[in-house]
Amino acid sequence: MSEVMTVFRREFLERVQSKSFLLGTLLFPVFMAAMWIIPARVGAGGGTRHLVVVDQAPAGVGATLVQVLTAPQPGPVDKEAVTFTVERVAAPLEQVKAGLIRRVQQKEIDGYLYLPPDVVQTSKAEYRARNVANFAVLSAVQRATTQSVQAARLQAAGLDASRVAALVKRVEVGTARITDKGEEGGSAASAFILAYVAGFLVYFMILLYGMNVLRSVLEEKTNKISEVIVSSMKASHLMLGKIIGVGAVALLQVAIWGAIIGIAVWRSDTLTKRFGLPAGAMDVVNVPPGTLAAVLGFFILGFLLYSAMYAALGAAVNSEQEAQQFQMLVLVPLLVPVALVFRIVADPLGPVATTLGMIPFTAPVAMAMRLASTPVPPLQIVASLALMTVTVLAVAWIAGKIYRVGILSTGKKPSLAELGRWLRMA
Amino acid sequence: MNDALTLDGVSKRYSGHTAVDDLSLAVPRGTIYGILGPNGAGKSTTLRMVMNILARDSGRISLLGADPAADRAVLRRVGFLPEERGVYRKMKVTDVIVFFAELKGVNRKVARARAEQWLERMGLGDWKQAKVETLSKGMQQKVQFIATVVHEPELLILDEPQSGLDPVNQEVLRDTMLGARDQGKTVIFSTHNMEQAEQLCEHVCIIAQGRKVLDGRLRDVRRENMGNRWYVEFDAPSEQAARFMRGETRFGPVAPQGEGWRIDMHDGGDPRALMQALAGLDVPVVRFQREQKSLHEIFIDRVNGAVTPNRRPEVAHV
Repeated sequence: MSEVMTVFRREFLERVQSKSFLLGTLLFPVFMAAMWIIPARVGAGGGTRHLVVVDQAPAGVGATLVQVLTAPQPGPVDKEAVTFTVERVAAPLEQVKAGLIRRVQQKEIDGYLYLPPDVVQTSKAEYRARNVANFAVLSAVQRATTQSVQAARLQAAGLDASRVAALVKRVEVGTARITDKGEEGGSAASAFILAYVAGFLVYFMILLYGMNVLRSVLEEKTNKISEVIVSSMKASHLMLGKIIGVGAVALLQVAIWGAIIGIAVWRSDTLTKRFGLPAGAMDVVNVPPGTLAAVLGFFILGFLLYSAMYAALGAAVNSEQEAQQFQMLVLVPLLVPVALVFRIVADPLGPVATTLGMIPFTAPVAMAMRLASTPVPPLQIVASLALMTVTVLAVAWIAGKIYRVGILSTGKKPSLAELGRWLRMA
Repeated sequence: MNDALTLDGVSKRYSGHTAVDDLSLAVPRGTIYGILGPNGAGKSTTLRMVMNILARDSGRISLLGADPAADRAVLRRVGFLPEERGVYRKMKVTDVIVFFAELKGVNRKVARARAEQWLERMGLGDWKQAKVETLSKGMQQKVQFIATVVHEPELLILDEPQSGLDPVNQEVLRDTMLGARDQGKTVIFSTHNMEQAEQLCEHVCIIAQGRKVLDGRLRDVRRENMGNRWYVEFDAPSEQAARFMRGETRFGPVAPQGEGWRIDMHDGGDPRALMQALAGLDVPVVRFQREQKSLHEIFIDRVNGAVTPNRRPEVAHV
């Protein structure tokens, strides 16, 4: 068995020492963090904006606008909230425009809002600023303008603006997940993102490292290295060493990511402040250890299952081009849960999610999605894991036979009948 | 058991043709043994059966006293160089060699030291830490050769080792093969280049179309296939001698060769009659000798048109 260790060592070290491993390991968390931070940042930003209102609107509109914009926010002081200082100019736009633009360019002010004389009738105002992509600022300006114009209209209609506002107040629906521990924070959107990320990550890692096994097998076959190696060890041992070697690289990568996420969660208070995230934005990744272990279990079994199939595929074909034709066939069951992610997350205990969670070929991805979105009954988890283990053993046994004959065969790719003959031969 | 390898009635059939047909041979220990034959003769198939890469259909193989199909452990005492070359392209040169040595049970430290020695010896000292893919093809072949011998096997089986090597590296390879022999190791190699085999081998086995044409000690093979070719050289080139030789067709075709003449005497032709005729000339004969046939000529004589080209089919599965 020492040869298995030698093969393991080679597969592991060759990958871990490669630049692509380093890059992939580091870039992925950066990418994920960007996914989390950028949307949050676009909305927030905080700070004070200096605006000029060029007020040509009927009396009252401009004053109300300034009042709404500069009014202190209700509730506790939020450091990330946007505040405004507003300067009102009553001159026509043409007279002041050039000066305003210069002031924006000189960063004296952030922008100006033009209220034309017919704003009450046309419902059209103009906002010019250095940055018009900040949603928080834009929506505040929009809201204040709308409110002030609406107030003028209501007044003209003889209604009390504040009463109307109270009557048409928006209702906010709060969301939270209910888990075994009770009620937990996190919005519906973040739960979906987590489920999607978990499922996609399992899919992606199985695909990526399964392909690694395939390429490794092909390299040895096309270079006839396998002919030399099987004179020193059993083909099945070579396959075993290869798969656990590549698998160990995948686990190491996952472990590094886990550590990064762990640190992120541990220092989540600092991080949310540093990156201007809403408080509790990191809560979503705070997954209970049992769930984490289950996802990891499904990932490992899924990797073993698919890498065994990839090893057999690599041994059966003669080039990566040939492999590509069959690769989709192997991949389809893995893709099914990814395609059905909305169904699974919408009803993680429903028939579709439960069935996909029990079929060994779809279970790794489907279960990762389910586990991330809801507490799955432990019996289902255990049953699915057991079923997968049996399947892994059976598939590995068949794949091992194809592999053994395949890595030493030459000539064109085998037909199904020939594959059958290989199975009987080995 | 004094033979490093014996084959006894070994056959390998594919659907439609027989790659190796009832082949028997014996490779004495401590010799360099050449398996010769044209492309598609079954050389690689034979060696692959010996290495248990292919399963034989019938016959017995004894490799270092064991059947490789039953006792795989014996293969670890063999160094095998396949016909098609290749090593891990992304690995460092030293690591590749150490990897193969470790697979054969050599301790990593020992393997590292030996790899270093071999790389120096093969002129690759500056490339120890280079990635294989940055090396030239010839250098890569040297790396693979080192990987074949680094575990110090008792028996080397090299399938077309010379192919793709430039003359300088062919020389290096020859020296290494001779060096291994001098250390008491056995070297078996296949080639279609008869001249190379003639320079290296003590024993040969010529096969064609999967069948053995002849085998034995090269010296004996030569003696047994002497033929009836003679070489005549006169003291000085003279018009009379030239006229005589051109007109002398009773014994067989005559052609100038080097300083003298070559006579391919008919079977059963008596060289003494030719000697008598030569004695009647004014010009003294300084050399009259039997010409040895080259291995290539022996091969052509023995196979004699029996080889049909492109016998090997496109598909060849296991």
